Amino acid sequence: MSAVEIIKEGLFGGLTSVFNIALIVFPLMVFMEIAKDAGALDWLAKLSKPITRFMKISDDSAFPLAIGLVFGLAFGAGVIIQSAKEGNLDKRSLLLLALFLACCHAVFEDTLLFVAVGANGWFLLAIRTITAFILTAIVSKKIKLPNIDQN
Amino acid sequence: MITKDTFVRGSKNGATTVWMLAKIILPVYFVVTVLKHTGLLEYVAIIFAPAMSIFGLPGEAALALVLGNALNIYAALGVISSISLTAKQITILAVMISFSHTLFVETAVTKKIGIGVLPILATRIGLALASGIILNIVL
Repeated sequence: MSAVEIIKEGLFGGLTSVFNIALIVFPLMVFMEIAKDAGALDWLAKLSKPITRFMKISDDSAFPLAIGLVFGLAFGAGVIIQSAKEGNLDKRSLLLLALFLACCHAVFEDTLLFVAVGANGWFLLAIRTITAFILTAIVSKKIKLPNIDQN
Repeated sequence: MITKDTFVRGSKNGATTVWMLAKIILPVYFVVTVLKHTGLLEYVAIIFAPAMSIFGLPGEAALALVLGNALNIYAALGVISSISLTAKQITILAVMISFSHTLFVETAVTKKIGIGVLPILATRIGLALASGIILNIVL
């Protein structure tokens, strides 16, 4: 294979990959803004309540949890730190929430990115979420964490 | 409320994200393609083949794991799309990288919330390794 052909393949192959991923990522970003403005976050926080109950952490964790699950760790952490500052989160909730989100965050974007290159998305999403649940449940039961229940 | 501004912001976010991933995926894809056709990728593959076989992955998949963890998911995608992998291998890599990626940046973020660096690194890398080994057996 000549140098020119290699360079061509390297360029066009890369552009094709970027294009395929952009086809998924761009609409997703627009959709997420629409969802945000349509008030989906409050609704998601409500949906996240059973998760926080399951983890036996404070109800105030539901909103940061929803943010982290949908928008990722950086944005999620910002909201968590804010909630912690306002005193809505006890230490135990904070640790379990952070642990859950470290394993499982930005679920739409991360999952779809891998779907764009050929991974099984449902499988990926299921494994990630279930593992985060199991891990948090184990840590919440087995490891003694400072328990300052505010509810 | 959904206004024109919603779509403007969404498109802006979309464009920024696409630009960010293009900046990473294009060079990674290019370099891997050059390595592939100059035979250098084979060396990488041979060196990492024994370790990667635990996860049922070819040696060159190590590049995706290393770049995914050191840089971000986009860099890993650049590698995944430039080497040849089966559907099973792509899914295994995706699960492993989902658990453990962008470690420098994200560990700094979780540290801010108050989780120790070591516990979080051990958890994420441990989950990646364990999921890779288990999925290779069950899939």
